[in-house]
Amino acid sequence: MAEFGRAALLLTFGLAAYALVGGGYAAWRGRRRLAHSARNALIASFFSTLVAALVLVAGFLRDDFSLAYVAGHSSRALPTPYKLSAFWGGQEGSLLLWLLVLTGYSALAVWLARKRARDLVVWVTPVLAGIALGFTWLLVAVSSPFDVIAAPADGSGLNPSLQNPYMVVHPVALYLGYVGLAVPFAFAMGALLSGRTDERWIVATRRWTIVAWTALGIGQLLGAHWAYVEVGWGGYYAWDPVENAALMPWLAATAFLHSVMIQEKRGMLRVWNVTLVSLAFCLSLFGTFLTRSGVVTSIHSFTKSSIGPWFLGFIVVAVVFAVGMIWLRLPQLRTTAKLESLVSREAAFLYNNLLLVALCLTILWGTAWPMVSEAVRGETMVVGRPYFDFFLRIFGLPLLLLMGIGPLVAWRRASLRGLTRTFAWPAAVALATGVVLIALGAGSSTPGLVAYTFSAFVLATIVHEFARGTSARRALTGEPVPTAFGRLIGRNRRRYGGYVVHASIVLLAIGIAGSSAYDSVTEGRLTRGQSLSVGGYTLTYRSLGEREAANATEVRALLDVRRGGKDLGTIQAGKNAYSVEQQVSNEVGIRTDYLTGEDLFVIAEQVDDNGAVFFRIFVKPLVNLIWLAGLVFLLGSVITLWPDAREERRLATREARAGARSDTPATT
Amino acid sequence: MIALSVAAVLAVFLLYTSLAGGGTPSVSPSELATKTGEVALAGRVVGTPTGDPHGAGMRFVLVDIHQPGHRVTVLYTGSVPDMFRRGRDLVVTGTQRADGVFVSKPGTMITKCPSKYQAADTPA
Repeated sequence: MAEFGRAALLLTFGLAAYALVGGGYAAWRGRRRLAHSARNALIASFFSTLVAALVLVAGFLRDDFSLAYVAGHSSRALPTPYKLSAFWGGQEGSLLLWLLVLTGYSALAVWLARKRARDLVVWVTPVLAGIALGFTWLLVAVSSPFDVIAAPADGSGLNPSLQNPYMVVHPVALYLGYVGLAVPFAFAMGALLSGRTDERWIVATRRWTIVAWTALGIGQLLGAHWAYVEVGWGGYYAWDPVENAALMPWLAATAFLHSVMIQEKRGMLRVWNVTLVSLAFCLSLFGTFLTRSGVVTSIHSFTKSSIGPWFLGFIVVAVVFAVGMIWLRLPQLRTTAKLESLVSREAAFLYNNLLLVALCLTILWGTAWPMVSEAVRGETMVVGRPYFDFFLRIFGLPLLLLMGIGPLVAWRRASLRGLTRTFAWPAAVALATGVVLIALGAGSSTPGLVAYTFSAFVLATIVHEFARGTSARRALTGEPVPTAFGRLIGRNRRRYGGYVVHASIVLLAIGIAGSSAYDSVTEGRLTRGQSLSVGGYTLTYRSLGEREAANATEVRALLDVRRGGKDLGTIQAGKNAYSVEQQVSNEVGIRTDYLTGEDLFVIAEQVDDNGAVFFRIFVKPLVNLIWLAGLVFLLGSVITLWPDAREERRLATREARAGARSDTPATT
Repeated sequence: MIALSVAAVLAVFLLYTSLAGGGTPSVSPSELATKTGEVALAGRVVGTPTGDPHGAGMRFVLVDIHQPGHRVTVLYTGSVPDMFRRGRDLVVTGTQRADGVFVSKPGTMITKCPSKYQAADTPA
């Protein structure tokens, strides 16, 4: 069995090496049949990787503990869904998942683009093959999931913190995102290599970028929800390096998604776009490196890890290659179009980009600072929550405001009169909201108040846009409102899907501001019958129960909840003590008010022998908007991505035009 | 235009770092003696913790992950993460008292999750 898996990976290695070397040579010398064959080798590498993955899956399902990886991450008693997710419970399996997703994406991307962007695909093939080759090398030579041991009677099991539904879905979503960024990167590099620096690589990869970006965003929100519900410390994001690892490429990809629109429309920002897509891809490599190399704990553990140095080398190669290619093609990338005014759609997009990249780089700096300071000064320095919160406010709040302004400003040059007309009523709504909020006492937090006011502004602009579009359509066609509204979105999916995504980011901002700027917390040790009050709620500790479950002892404290004299029922919070794993986990009690989006969040921090319990209780206003934002985000992305014949035709003409406009291909 | 914006961002950044300093030094028990003031102490838990983290404080011993000879007693108050137990690696922020006991700032304990920070050759 193990030999079969190893052989499949060796085959992948051979196919990827052939696609890199053969494909590179074919592209360089213009050998069409060889290029064809290299492309097919890249597609075939997906199937050989799939075979390797299936061998590992079979190993897990058959409890084949002669595979060291299976023995280390599974056990006979493990429920079947977790036997499947144990696949990515460790390093070797995670790398194999990376490679599987990469080759799958690669195969699909070169296959779909084979007709329309043929001369581009010729160069994309070796780039994708190069990335696949790097990962296959790690799997074949450094960290193999098919190492064999003398089979123990039972495996050592899966870490309990990974045994929940979130940890089945969350890593897959993240990897679909991380790895998906390889496709636009490869097309950008393909465009640079071929010397065809026109817009076609952008048009060809637009959907790929959105798919990867959506998966990365959803993956992160799933991780945040997991932290909130399962980890039980009362928050959802802690600026932990592994969390930042996913946020940074997402921010870079967000910047990229916006700036490519400028290039499509005006042919500007060419250098910037290839830089951004390289940044996003390198950050996704860096993210995998952070989570997998042990470098976060200390540089010492990094140098002991087997894949760390390889991975670092891999990132260096990617960065040097990208920078080198951009440098080499700088003359062709220069554009004649200039920014005409600082008040225009282009300028607003540029500000948005600078803020996103600034936020991304400050997070990168904060995340890497312990490693940098240890390497440079021999002393590890850490920056904490205040550092990240500061920059989130400084760069995030203007970004929020721009989200309302950008889409409504005219291209090229906006007139002052036009601006006043467009923004008069959103600004009025924002001001009114601000005044009402101050009257309600929201002035206790300035960043919170600013965030709410800006959110009101953006929502007003979005509602205004939908209303204006619908009424314009009605005036033209005489359709009833729902039809006009539906067709408006259906005929401009990209634009209105984008607005829906913007609305989701506003919901996210409101949720974050509400739960972090206006939350209340109290704590104290209660004996039976005693009460604690917080944020309008009064909780009375009633009783303590203990129950023996299959694999854990469950202790639960029962509390009565009242608000404003009204009985709201009971809430339970406690701890599970897992006997086999010798681990205790907090099981928090959450009471959601679906009308206001507020959560009452109870942690039983410590249960004393005499039955007294130390409670920590949060009231988190509007926190549920964060999860709602995830659904709206997904809806917006799906609207944008939905196949549309009209859009396809538009793309085809745009692509043809871009092809015609481009300079004659440079020879290398 | 771009250069100006980059300069503005840099200015904000420098302003922040000059106000807040370059962060907290992170040290292991063997390096603790060389530092004064607030530090983030990283080490591995040994022995059995005693006392009440929500009362007078919980006492436990941290040893150096790489030089297990060095050890320090920690007096901790505040929330204790689920993952806290013997053998775990953790970070706690605070200052060392004259009697050698490391006194934490309340609620600063962070445990390092072994599944995520896996280094291939060091079993979790």
